[in-house]
Parts: sequence; structure tokens; C-alpha cells
Amino acid sequence: MSEYAIEVDDLCISYVSMKSYSIKKNLLRGRKEKNEYFEAVKHISFKVEKGEILGLVGQNGSGKSTMLRSIAGIFSPNSGTIDLHGHSISLMSIGVGFKPELSGRENILLSGILLGFSEKEIEEHMEEIIEFSELGEFVDKPVRTYSSGMHSKLAFAITAILETDIILIDEVLSVGDSRFKKKSFARIKSLIDNKDRTVIIVSHFNNQIRELCDKALWIDKGEFRMYGDANEVMDAYEAFMDE
Amino acid sequence: MINRICADVKRYFNYTVISARCDLMAEVASSYLNWVWWILEPFCMMLIYAFVFGYVFGSKEKYFAVFIFIGLTMWNFFNHVISGSVKIVKANKGIVTKVYIPKYMLLIQKIWVNGFKMVVSFGVVGLMLICFRIPVTFSILMFLPILFLHVLFTFAIATFLLHLGVFVEDLTNVTTIVLRFLMYMTGIFYNVEKKIPVVGYYLSRFNPLAYIISAMREILIYKKMPELRYYFLWLAVSLVLAYLGVRNIYKNENSYVKSI
Repeated sequence: MSEYAIEVDDLCISYVSMKSYSIKKNLLRGRKEKNEYFEAVKHISFKVEKGEILGLVGQNGSGKSTMLRSIAGIFSPNSGTIDLHGHSISLMSIGVGFKPELSGRENILLSGILLGFSEKEIEEHMEEIIEFSELGEFVDKPVRTYSSGMHSKLAFAITAILETDIILIDEVLSVGDSRFKKKSFARIKSLIDNKDRTVIIVSHFNNQIRELCDKALWIDKGEFRMYGDANEVMDAYEAFMDE
Repeated sequence: MINRICADVKRYFNYTVISARCDLMAEVASSYLNWVWWILEPFCMMLIYAFVFGYVFGSKEKYFAVFIFIGLTMWNFFNHVISGSVKIVKANKGIVTKVYIPKYMLLIQKIWVNGFKMVVSFGVVGLMLICFRIPVTFSILMFLPILFLHVLFTFAIATFLLHLGVFVEDLTNVTTIVLRFLMYMTGIFYNVEKKIPVVGYYLSRFNPLAYIISAMREILIYKKMPELRYYFLWLAVSLVLAYLGVRNIYKNENSYVKSI
């Protein structure tokens, strides 16, 4: 198989001029502060074949989440290109993506539309999502009343049920209580079994990467370290981390 | 660029409408008098201003209550959209950090919410016109074109504030002051052209808001056609500004997420 779903070429992402500007501070100081410059991802290239599962590993702060976000189109790279060949994509990540004042049901609808689904498609999957999220009657209450566990479960349920061609999973395999964890892991496995689906997983559980992924990419402080068979990369990564 | 705007509007239009509908419903659900506030708030404001400027300062404006109510209705729309636009990206942090959305869609969503309230408020204006037995003439045909200009102009200004608001922390403080000043220069509760000598003449034409609001009053209350060349002037200016604003957002929007 040589059809690629994701092609990333010479990707560089830096956080520059991110320091927000304040009129008051500038009037008082009289001159502009120098912007801090931080390179999060440096010259990374890789390709993911259609149907492949790629594990992305590295220490905290090595640019994994940044890279996923730029692949998802949430922010643009400073240089380099990302080509998704027209596939639909969704990012599963810890935390919120909701409007707190709206009910869970309304948030499912809005998130679904933003992922590119029609109202009708979402309605068809609505009950399935609610059931998977285990929210019960809370689904009609405002999201601000949810516990953090409920929040993450709902977020997970939306992306797990409304399936896109490419799924980026950012450390969400540890969401919820142990029962939900098992369920979500099983769901991810069944999503992955679909040969047309391309997945990139970020996880700090090395065994998950070994179990789920075909290939792995290791980046360290934004720089490319190793790419190849998941087990080989994980062996090298674990050896490095034990040092 | 035009193609991209068309494609994005087509793709996200549904989102803006549904999201606005949900917001309005959530607002209603969480208050006691719910939708009554949409009418009550401008109505009470109108009573206050009518008392202060009509009674205390003795304004001689004909149909003064309607005069104020039209001004307030349109001003409130502008005021809410503009002051909301400054922090709009941060306010939607949950969404913009999870999925791509053209950021000006957030503005369009806000325009639906406030536009709906403005329409409700214009419903009250309609009732007042009937109560005061103000006759309707052909000039009413200009209602929609003027409303359109008002919305477009508001959108155009908001696109720039959306962009700046991401990077400038204390922009809210500045906009509050500017908006207050602008409110007095727009003549919500007095006639700029009559009350301010010389300068008023220019204000009522070259302050787009003053022009738009007084044009609305002229067609609804005084049965006069507004000066059309200024209409087209401000329409052209708004279109250009909106285009530049949207282009600027497209160019920079992907760096917004990094700074919030």
C-alpha cells in the first residue's frame, strides 16, 4: 500500500511574538518588549499511510501536542507543509471543547457540525453518543455543571462515535474511571481495525503504543529522533528514558 | 480569497445559526423574565433618556420616545457586537483550541444573537409607530437596506477588533472609552445635526453610525429619504473594510491559538 493519508514535510512550528501586548505596559515602559522565541517543532518530516496507526512519543514538552494541533489545522506551521489529501480529521484531546452555558445535547450538535457532519447525521448518532458518554439525564443540563470526568467522557464519545477519516488521539486513553477506560480502549481498537482509518496516537503509556501502533515516531525537544517499527522505536525510547 | 469566503460561509453558516439559537435559548432558560428582557431593557432605557433629555433638558424633538428608541435599538446592537468582539476568541477558547473554524464565524454567530434582539426591539418600534399614529410611506422601503448597512459596518469594525483583541490585553478598556465617546457623538438621545453647530453637520454625515441611525429615523418617523450618496459611500467603505478585515483574519488566525 502506498497511498498516503498524511504527509508532513519539514515542519517547523515556533511560538513567536506570543507575549501579549498591553497598551498600559508599553506606555509606561516607552519601548517595545522583545518577543520571546520558542521553537516547539524543528524540521520534522514523516508520512503516514492510509489505514496506518502511528504512535507519537517523547517527553513532556517535546512538541507532540503542538504537532497534532497543527496537523488538525488549528494552527499553522511557520514553515513546512502538511498535506491531508482531503481527508476529514478530528482531534481528541483532554479537556474541553464546549460552550459551558449550553446543554450536553446542544454541545454534541455544535461539535458535530464543526467536525463537518450534517445535522441529520448527528441526530442519527445522538443517542449512541449519549449512551456511550454515560451521562444519562445530565445530557440536558448545562455543561458547566459537569464534573471533569463527565466532560472528558462526553468529548471522547463525540469523536469516537462520529468517525472521521483521520483521528488524532492526544492522551485521552486515560479518561474516566477504570470501566470507562476499558470501554474507550475497546472502542479505539475497533476504530483502528477499520483499514481505511488513519490514526495518530500520543500516549505516555508505552504498552499502549506497542499494542496499538504499527509504526512509531519519537521526537525529543522538537527534534526528530527515530522513526520505524513501533516495537523497535519503543525499545530505544525506553532505554533512553531509563538513563 | 472570495472563493474561500464563499466555501467557508457555506460550510459554517449552519454552525453560526444553530449556535446562535442555542445561545439565545440558554439565555432565556437561565433568567426569570427570560425573553421579556429583550424588550424591557431598551424600553426602560428609553424611559430614562426620555425623562432626562425630554423633560429635564426640554428636547423639542418630534415623537421623542420613538426617536430615542430607534437610536437605542441600533446602538445596542453595535455596542454589544463591538465590545464582545474584542474578547471573542478568548471567550470561545474551548472551541478554537479543539477544531478549526474561521474566526470571523464567531462574529457572525454573535451578530445573529444580537441581530435577533435588534429585530425584537424593532418590533417594539413598529408598535410605537402604530400607537403614535405615525403614517407609513414608501420611504419604509429603505428599512432593510439601512439595516443591512448597519450590520455590515458593525461587522467590518468588529473584524479588526477581533484581531487586535487577541494580542492586546487591555483593549477592552480602550474600547469602553471609545464606545462611550462614540455614543455621545452619534446622538442616541439628541439630534446631532441640530444640537451641535457646524460640527454636527459633518458628524451626521461622516460619522457612519450617526448617519445610519439618523437615516433610519428619517425614513421611519419623518418620512424623508436619506441622502443616498452618503449611503453608497458608507456601503462601499464598509464592504472594503469587511473584506480587509476578513483577509487579515485569514492571514493571522492560526497564530491566535498560540497566544491564548
